[in-house]
Amino acid sequence: MGIGDAIRRALSSWTKKEGPHGDIVLGTRVRLARNSKDVPFPGASSKEQLQSVLDQARSFPDVLKDEGSFVFYDMAEMDALDRDMLVEKHLISPNHARHTFHRGVILRSDEDISIMVNEEDHLRIQVLFPGLQLQQAWKHASRVDDCLESKFGYAFDKERGYLTACPTNVGTGMRASVMLHLPALARVNRLREVLGTVSQFGLVVRGLYGEGSESYGNIYQLSNQVTLGHREEEMIEHLERVTKQIIQSERQAREYLSQPERRLAVEDTVYRAFGVLSFARILSTEEAMQLLSDVRLGMDLGFIHHLDKEILKELMVMIRAAHLQKIMGQNLPPEERDKLRASLVREKLNPQALKKS
Amino acid sequence: MLCEQCGKKQASVHVTKIQNGQKIERHLCKECAQQSSEFSTGIDFQNMLSSFFEYPQTWGQKARPKQGCPVCGSTLTDIQNRSQLGCSQCYTTFDSEVNTLLRRIHGTTEHVGKIPESSHGRIRLERQVQDLREQLQQAIAEEQYEKAAELRDQIRSLEGQLDGKEG
Ligand SMILES: [Zn+2]
Ligand SMILES: [Zn+2]
Repeated sequence: MGIGDAIRRALSSWTKKEGPHGDIVLGTRVRLARNSKDVPFPGASSKEQLQSVLDQARSFPDVLKDEGSFVFYDMAEMDALDRDMLVEKHLISPNHARHTFHRGVILRSDEDISIMVNEEDHLRIQVLFPGLQLQQAWKHASRVDDCLESKFGYAFDKERGYLTACPTNVGTGMRASVMLHLPALARVNRLREVLGTVSQFGLVVRGLYGEGSESYGNIYQLSNQVTLGHREEEMIEHLERVTKQIIQSERQAREYLSQPERRLAVEDTVYRAFGVLSFARILSTEEAMQLLSDVRLGMDLGFIHHLDKEILKELMVMIRAAHLQKIMGQNLPPEERDKLRASLVREKLNPQALKKS
Repeated sequence: MLCEQCGKKQASVHVTKIQNGQKIERHLCKECAQQSSEFSTGIDFQNMLSSFFEYPQTWGQKARPKQGCPVCGSTLTDIQNRSQLGCSQCYTTFDSEVNTLLRRIHGTTEHVGKIPESSHGRIRLERQVQDLREQLQQAIAEEQYEKAAELRDQIRSLEGQLDGKEG
């Protein structure tokens, strides 16, 4: 068994499956913030109050049994590497992995659904699907929400809706987002124009791992800015409409790049990227992500056929620090991670090259 | 997209900030972003939020209630320091301050989305009836009488449920 296989099996289903518009939309996320009406928000709660919420959450897998197989985990009992892996898989926030006391997470077996307990709000319900599936993700999140509502008296106000610790989430408590891979727009220098336009439509653009994070590998997250004053369906529809516009722009840019007079230059970039990834001995996350983005563009433009399309999503999670250290079963200094990252990528892209070396 | 600062490298850090109520977007390369201290990760969002809390002039020291929230004890200063409210009662305790805040953030103070079924079933039904009445007006205006009749039946049945439900 290769080094990647062990954690490949541990990957969330959204990274392994292709969804609608999967050539551009890597994934869709809908997150709902909910709080108990009986206990102050986590930031102002006593230890006992936090513990009572956590204890209540232990029964949620049972409450949710019609929605699949869920397991409750106490964050304080979880290994640090395992917590970081959940962050790298986008299942919990970095904040949730760092502050672990009286915090929990509930995961569905396929990891499409996760519920953070006692993060900024008592509950953060999250649904993560491959491709563009905003409606479906909202419906699922809303169903889980319905199940929990009957057991957990929500803080809800007729005028202001679901009450949250931070007033930026009040109302629907919903943050819907799509993760977009936009290599062609980046290459024709149209990203700024396209992403700039988006903010005029009440949407926010972020890098791969949230606010202020870097956008490795031409991957961007797009989400709704306000949570109050619109129905969830309306916000979802709006985000979907703008996303489809961006998809169209990216498709046009890809079309433009595959015209005969430009094709060779793109092909060159793609194969150079493939070459480096197939033979490099040291790879930083940033370099790996950029090259993987180039290779994935090559697959989408039909230059490269023999690789699995979901390799970008899989590797973008597998090559992160915690996943690499999990493979080795120990903490590794950055130089060691760069070496391991290179050999993991080599094995995925070019197994022969690995055997000969 | 090229970096706004040096104009040479690819911009890989993208930040939206709200400063004095103005939205500012910046696109920088990794190196330029690291030099500019305002881009240390995570801080921006906090600053943005604090600025939301600081802004309202109506929160002047004189007007500011000294009393804390009766449930969680948070004062306005606590809330401002945390950039978070303490509990659901805070929303009532600091009603007018919260409304100023919500208008600044969302442009409105009124929720029109999902309503929990089990605890707020009545409000949910009322909202449904209201939606159907609007659709009914529309149908009548468009002379779709068959549809109007259907809608009228639905409204009646929901109103029946409403009568059966207390408070
Ligand atoms: Zn620069
Ligand atoms: Zn309070």
